[in-house]
Amino acid sequence: MDHQATNVLLIEDNPGDADLVRLRLVEGKSPVNVNCVNRLSDGLASLTNETPSVVLLDLNLPDSRGAETFRRVMDHSPNVPVVVLSGQDDEVLAMKAVHHGVQDYLIKGDISSKQLERAIRYAVERQALLHSLEMTQKQQLEFKNQFLSHVSHELRTPLTCIHQYVTLLLDGIAGPVAPDQADHLKTVLKSVNQLHAMIRDLLEATRAESGKMRIEPRCITLGELVQQTIAMLRPTAEEKQIGLEVGVDQRLPLVYADPDRVLEVLINLVDNAIKFTPADGSVMVQASMVDADPGFVYVSVSDTGRGINPEAKALVFDRLYQDSDSVDNNRSGLGLGLFICKEIVRLHGGRIWVFSEPGQGSTFTFTLPVYSLPKLLFPVITYEESLRPSFVLVRVELTPLSYPPRGNWKETWQQCLETLRRCVYLDKDLVLPPLSASGAAETFFVVASTDLQQSGVMTARIREQLERVPNLKTKATLTIMAASVELPSGSPGASLEQQVQTVADAVTGMIMASMERKKSRAGSGPRDSN
Amino acid sequence: MQRPKVLIVDDDPDLLRALRLRLRANNYEVTTASDGYTAIASAQKERPALIILDLGLPVGDGFVVLERLQNIDALASVPVIVLSARDPQSNEERALKAGAAAFFQKPADNDELMNVIRVSLSPGQSQPAPWPS
Repeated sequence: MDHQATNVLLIEDNPGDADLVRLRLVEGKSPVNVNCVNRLSDGLASLTNETPSVVLLDLNLPDSRGAETFRRVMDHSPNVPVVVLSGQDDEVLAMKAVHHGVQDYLIKGDISSKQLERAIRYAVERQALLHSLEMTQKQQLEFKNQFLSHVSHELRTPLTCIHQYVTLLLDGIAGPVAPDQADHLKTVLKSVNQLHAMIRDLLEATRAESGKMRIEPRCITLGELVQQTIAMLRPTAEEKQIGLEVGVDQRLPLVYADPDRVLEVLINLVDNAIKFTPADGSVMVQASMVDADPGFVYVSVSDTGRGINPEAKALVFDRLYQDSDSVDNNRSGLGLGLFICKEIVRLHGGRIWVFSEPGQGSTFTFTLPVYSLPKLLFPVITYEESLRPSFVLVRVELTPLSYPPRGNWKETWQQCLETLRRCVYLDKDLVLPPLSASGAAETFFVVASTDLQQSGVMTARIREQLERVPNLKTKATLTIMAASVELPSGSPGASLEQQVQTVADAVTGMIMASMERKKSRAGSGPRDSN
Repeated sequence: MQRPKVLIVDDDPDLLRALRLRLRANNYEVTTASDGYTAIASAQKERPALIILDLGLPVGDGFVVLERLQNIDALASVPVIVLSARDPQSNEERALKAGAAAFFQKPADNDELMNVIRVSLSPGQSQPAPWPS
């Protein structure tokens, strides 16, 4: 038994109650030090300076009331056990407190010193157990993630070797290969690619689990991604004699999403659908808007497979879930695909779900947010409930010196974008999400809450910073331009939302015009637009 | 026409041999090194037109090699393509900042790799272009 004194921080504003609790504590058998304060702010200040064994907390204080009181204490010191001492027997509030992690909820009037002593002791023990459990879990997760990331790295080395030698043979670099032998080698290569995909998934899932997965949303056309997916998977579908159909609404708005990640989700879903559909079946990819949910685009992948039974439906998005009898179950993968899809969609702020009846096929649907310029602009171009006075649109264009661009072009422009974001004021300027890559040049736009005269400082800073991006000079030329956003004279009484919409419309108009000019300058044909 | 010389640095001898065969088949002259120290020495001696560099190396890892190359005037402008099994999320940006021209994770797609090598070596690209005023 521990004979050290228990240090109690008592936060109680009623002097009579405070004395009573103090008396009960001193009456007990074990030594107790009581530090009593009568305001929450003083309590929090005391917690900052020293950590007591336990906090005894009255909920109704001069500077905080009810559930807010324990929330603030626990946010401040999550590892200190809190016992609420309340004047009122409120079961709903007590439950709320316990769910929030409060160790006990006692009623001031009816506690004996023995009960209080015991409550404190158990509260301290429970909190310590909880803490060590959390630490162990955290360590285990950390260890597991490190292990997986190490394993996936180590597996790549021998895999690379196999890949290199198989392709050497297949490409005829090591001498001519007979057709039969080439067929065998292709089979090896197919397996190598599957293994490669599994290693990638392993690392992706680890990242998703530890919150390290990143997305880089841009303004994208979903139809193009659907077409890309279909083109990639058509050979697989044809091999199994499965029809691949597409139904994309041509009036679909642009979405705000990471194209590489969305492609990953689409490929995963369509590949799965093909895997679970018998010969002569079909797989359909659709994208459309739903009236009831105008902020999102709905994308669905349906198959004519045997469907998913109701118990499994809840599990398919779980990590490591495996369907026991896929059509070709000797190649069913790690069971990470849908888990990764779910994480990607979740990071975009969308949802993913499945609808299925046994024997009737399955439909996987996910949503992606519609690109809304007013929504992005609102927090930066308004200040204290009104529109800022003037705006400038800055255009930063990177044109690669060669085509295809040298080195890793994507990495280069992403670095530039990061740099650009560091050049602006976060509260009043906005670097717009990049437009879907339209060939070689990358064009970024910044909406700045300033006037044309002042914007010179910003464009100079952008140029200076971008010129420091390593190797950019050897890869691209840089053009920076600024123009003020001309707004039509506002109609009196327009709401703030309407005013923001007006700015967004003007900005959109300027961007469209500038991209049009670029297109005609480059002499390329008209592009699909929707 | 003289074939461009490529220095391949990797500590896996089997992979080194395979890459050498592939690059020779693509009309490059190849020289190799299997550790960081030899990589620098051989780059100074052989003056390659391009370097393919692994990151996990004995005697000075890939980042050390990148840093050293940047500090040698005659070698600072030689394009370096990093080819590593390491996670790009934590290594790609670092490698590019250290002066690499491109980052490929192993196993890399051969066509893409050859394409980047070709583009990095294409004439007229070695001089930095002036910025527009």
